[in-house]
Amino acid sequence: MAKPVVKKEYTLSERIYLWEILKGMKLTWGHFWFNFKACWRPGPHTIPTCWQYPEDRTREISPIFRGEHMLQRDDKGRETCIACGMCAKICPAQCITIKKAKRKEGEEDKYAAKTYPATFEVDLLRCIFCGFCEDVCPKNAIVLGQEYEFARYTKEECILDKRKLLMNYRKAKEEGKLKPPRKRVPVVPAPPKPEKAGKTEGGESKKGKAAVAGKAKKKPVAKKKAPEKAESTEKAEGGEKKQAAEKEE
Amino acid sequence: MDDWLIAIIKVVGIWVWVLLIAVVMTWVERRGAALIQDRPGPNRAGPWGLFQPLADGIKLFTKEEIIPTKAQKLLYIIGPLLFSVPAFSAYAVVPFGDKIVLGGKEIILQVSDVNIGFLYILAIGSMAVYGVILGGWGSNNKYSILGGLRSTAQMVSYEVPLGLALLGIVFVYGTFSLRDISLAQQGTFLGFLPNWGIFKQPLGFILFIVAAYAEANRVPFDLPEAESEIVSGYHTEYGSMRLGLYLFGEYVNLVTISGIIVALYFGSWHIPYIDLGAYLGPISWGIVSFCIFFLKVSFFLWMFVWVRWTLPRFRYDQVMGLGWRGLIPLALFNIFITALFIQLTV
Repeated sequence: MAKPVVKKEYTLSERIYLWEILKGMKLTWGHFWFNFKACWRPGPHTIPTCWQYPEDRTREISPIFRGEHMLQRDDKGRETCIACGMCAKICPAQCITIKKAKRKEGEEDKYAAKTYPATFEVDLLRCIFCGFCEDVCPKNAIVLGQEYEFARYTKEECILDKRKLLMNYRKAKEEGKLKPPRKRVPVVPAPPKPEKAGKTEGGESKKGKAAVAGKAKKKPVAKKKAPEKAESTEKAEGGEKKQAAEKEE
Repeated sequence: MDDWLIAIIKVVGIWVWVLLIAVVMTWVERRGAALIQDRPGPNRAGPWGLFQPLADGIKLFTKEEIIPTKAQKLLYIIGPLLFSVPAFSAYAVVPFGDKIVLGGKEIILQVSDVNIGFLYILAIGSMAVYGVILGGWGSNNKYSILGGLRSTAQMVSYEVPLGLALLGIVFVYGTFSLRDISLAQQGTFLGFLPNWGIFKQPLGFILFIVAAYAEANRVPFDLPEAESEIVSGYHTEYGSMRLGLYLFGEYVNLVTISGIIVALYFGSWHIPYIDLGAYLGPISWGIVSFCIFFLKVSFFLWMFVWVRWTLPRFRYDQVMGLGWRGLIPLALFNIFITALFIQLTV
């Protein structure tokens, strides 16, 4: 039922409008005067609710902002990416291209794992900045950083190759804008699978169907099959009981 | 010859001055709206965005003039002219200062001191409806014609309380001339109140200002161009400088209405309790009176902006109801009380 509408009875001063108008004008004057005073503050950021963007870049960005991509290195300066290809697979815009290569001997100081990406391309024109790639990355290698000015002049510049991604990481490290290590999402224990019960139930239902079909076709033979059917129902009941018990657990 | 020259200078001067105020008003409107809504507004063109109206003007002038194929050409072209010309010409009888003495010649700071100034203003004010309705009709557009119709009904009905409110002022001061009324507002009455129209006609002032907002098609009575309902009303089909004429005409109307309010109800160029004219020389008093008058006018111009960004729009039946059932009986009551008072005291 819809919420009943209670019509407010207006008082005389409200019906005359004028006093209420003056109250409203006082409110808007408050806003005007506050912002008028704010206009005389030094610096580009004057009115508190507005950021004059190109001049005023003081607006705080969330530490988990999803900006331009980067490939992280570990403490020893090695590339952490193992080229598993999970980011490329989960990417809904399909903007990541990875070619896998195996680490040769003597490259242990360059690559952290046995495999590494020979090429790693992120197409910024396709990317939707959903952040799935960094969520799915097992080594926390690909990360969306704080950089948000992507405007470029050519298409080629918009495709980030491995060099640019690593440069982004270096730049972010120098500016101290590295992403904080993300919080581990608590792993929800998978619900216990009712494997046995499911199997039996499935089998029983099939049998049951067959029995019913048989019953419909051959009436006189039904007596013979009756015990079978009884058995099957028993089994099915047993299976259901098992399932119920497991559910209760 | 001299008189002619002075008259021409006054006409051209006040025309340019009013146009200038109207142009600056577009900037004030946008910046004021922005500040009221917690944002900076246009601040890129020039210092504090002051050249914004200039940029807008250049844009409007250089736009292609398009006449819709199905429009009625004559009415379409004549509409903005009929709207803006009365707007400019209405200021002819509104004073903008006391007087200035140059070379032994006394020059009244008013384009022409017509002794039926009131009637002139009312007549010219009614003319503006033609611009709106012809523009709306000539555009051959549903929204335009709706806007035109709304403005006709609204402006015609609000002219009645406007005229009746002015009648109260005529009763009090006994003249139709705006200059005589301005002069009569010097000094005080009852010992402490300034001799201003608002203190003699408080109800009349409220009625006048409400009716004036409706006449100027300003919020909360901007039904003819209600952009949330009928695109932009009667000037939906207009572009380039024809649209500019409508917009400028509106702001010129605001200047005129503010001038009338100040001249009638807020003591024109007088300051309460002090007669500056007695202390200053003839030339400096002319300039000072002009400044005082302009300051008062600018306050009312600002109030138009202020009210616009405070109030929502009335519904159409509310506008009509307020006009016919609220303002007109009150105006008649005001006239009755004023007449009774004058009859008893004089």
